[in-house]
Amino acid sequence: MDKEALKQKILEVFQKKASSGGKSKIYLKDLQREIPEANPRDIKNAANELVKEGKLEYFSTGSTVMYGLPGVGMGLEAGMDKPEE
Amino acid sequence: MGEVKKHDTPLLDELKSGPWPSFVDDIYNYAEKHKKQAGFDILGQMELSYKNKETHWKHGGIVGVFGYGGGVIGRYSDQQEKFPAIWAFHTVRVNQPAAKWYHTSALRKLCDLWDHRGSGIMNFHGSTGDIILLGTVTEQLEYIFYDLTHQLKMDLGGSGSNLRTPECCVGMSRCEWSCIDTQDIIYELTMQFQDELHRPAFPYKFKIKVSGCPNDCVAAIARADFSIIGTWRDDIKIDQEAVRAYVGGELKPNAGAHSDRDWGPFDIKKEVIDLCPTKCMFWDEGQKKLYINNRECNRCMHCINVMPEALRPGDDRGATILMGAKAPILEGAQLSTVIVPFMKLEPPYDNLKNLIYKVWDYWMENGKNRERLGETIQRIGLNRFIVDVLGLKPIPQHVREPRSNPYIFWKEEEVEGGWTRDVAEFRRRHPA
Ligand code: HEM
Ligand code: HEM
Ligand code: SF4
Ligand code: SF4
Repeated sequence: MDKEALKQKILEVFQKKASSGGKSKIYLKDLQREIPEANPRDIKNAANELVKEGKLEYFSTGSTVMYGLPGVGMGLEAGMDKPEE
Repeated sequence: MGEVKKHDTPLLDELKSGPWPSFVDDIYNYAEKHKKQAGFDILGQMELSYKNKETHWKHGGIVGVFGYGGGVIGRYSDQQEKFPAIWAFHTVRVNQPAAKWYHTSALRKLCDLWDHRGSGIMNFHGSTGDIILLGTVTEQLEYIFYDLTHQLKMDLGGSGSNLRTPECCVGMSRCEWSCIDTQDIIYELTMQFQDELHRPAFPYKFKIKVSGCPNDCVAAIARADFSIIGTWRDDIKIDQEAVRAYVGGELKPNAGAHSDRDWGPFDIKKEVIDLCPTKCMFWDEGQKKLYINNRECNRCMHCINVMPEALRPGDDRGATILMGAKAPILEGAQLSTVIVPFMKLEPPYDNLKNLIYKVWDYWMENGKNRERLGETIQRIGLNRFIVDVLGLKPIPQHVREPRSNPYIFWKEEEVEGGWTRDVAEFRRRHPA
């Protein structure tokens, strides 16, 4: 899978989850599980590029990191509740 | 700057009465001198936590600065009305230089930066090894990062599911026992793994720590998923003259470290020979000569620590690679376990880097969310990890002890005739 196609696929995973009321933040692992045909390292690199492009954002409580669509679910400054696992 | 407001802190004030310098005094002095409301508010909120016995910090989602997936840990007060100056109190992790050497001018600049853009409270160093800048607000993050990288030539450290900032002991810069150049290794690995350090790549955190000898001053064996500990494989170097000087009382054992009390005359049998864990040493009282059976020595460093002038690590030096230490989160705490008993470590350390990549490739694909490497190894079994994942040969050094050790089992293809072989027929030809 070429990189652009992979990035598209990643965004689709997020959009599908968000529109079906699923999780708004997901772990890299779970993203890798959704796209079994791609190499985990490629998925990591593509997801990180999407963050640079502003199409995804990181979300963390300090000990681990999740990815999410900007503006969907809890915001970066929410700081209110524990994020969903 | 306007008026600052001090809160009543009777519980915290008690801490000032103890025999040690108190952070309460430190923070008050600083806050008063610099008119920093954050200093007063942090103590005010802490007083409340002491009173209610619960935390008033909330987690945030913030991770880093633009393009970075780590280095900043978002914290917010849940008492923002009472303590407005600490509505946000983010932690910034700064990658410390290898072995933590600084020029005082760099430290001054860093303090100036934090006076100006943060709470003024910092911690040298956090348990990860980083410099910890405690307490700033979101709007300051990009400026802090710009100043750090452009003026101080410092970078953020790791947090979250990233490679955490690699850390080492003082190594060759100050310690004659260092069998490997710990600082160079840490620098090399830090530069090589920039992407893993700044961009989340893993199921959970991953720590690499390097100690120059088995004294393991950075506690790599207890704290790192990947522990690199210097060692040697030839003989301990003995200066018999110096051994006799210790026995004769001319040299102080442990370089005088315990001389504040009178422990009586040095007794080589009691203090060295009998404490050797492998019982491989012998002091010939008649000949006044020390013998070591180096084949049995497990490089524990005890005898060398006691008689540093007489005994030194050998010259064929490298490192033992251990993996899997962690604090108790899913399973209990565990120490790293030996994976490669001896590895030569010379720049550019390709053998080391390749081993690390091999471990990561497997763990990234097979580790579960929030599962440390040690837990993955436990789940699949040490034997499978060594043989199938790393492609190494099982050897006696992997065996910790009978019974609690995960034994190496045969696989079907390694057994002549496999599981279905007619044993009765075999035994007819080869009686047991
Ligand atoms: C030449 C004959 C034998 C030798 C040299 C031998 C040696 C050993 C050794 C070294 C151990 C390990 C002890 C430890 O855990 O520290 C052991 C354990 C054991 N042996 Fe033997 N053994 C022999 C014969 C036998 C026989 C004939 C039996 C039973 C019919 C037997 C039953 C066991 C059992 C049940 C254990 C404990 C295994 C465990 O740790 O769970 N052994 N033996
Ligand atoms: C009422 C009957 C029995 C009682 C009360 C009994 C009790 C025990 C006890 C208390 C131990 C020590 C466990 C430990 O080290 O913590 C033991 C070990 C052992 N027993 Fe028995 N036993 C009985 C019958 C048998 C029989 C019938 C066999 C064999 C045919 C047997 C074989 C063994 C073996 C091999 C061990 C050593 C296991 C090891 O240390 O790994 N026992 N037994
Ligand atoms: S681990 Fe060994 S080499 Fe490093 S500082 Fe400690 S004693 Fe020296
Ligand atoms: S290093 Fe430890 S095991 Fe080796 S001879 Fe000295 S005391 Fe014994």
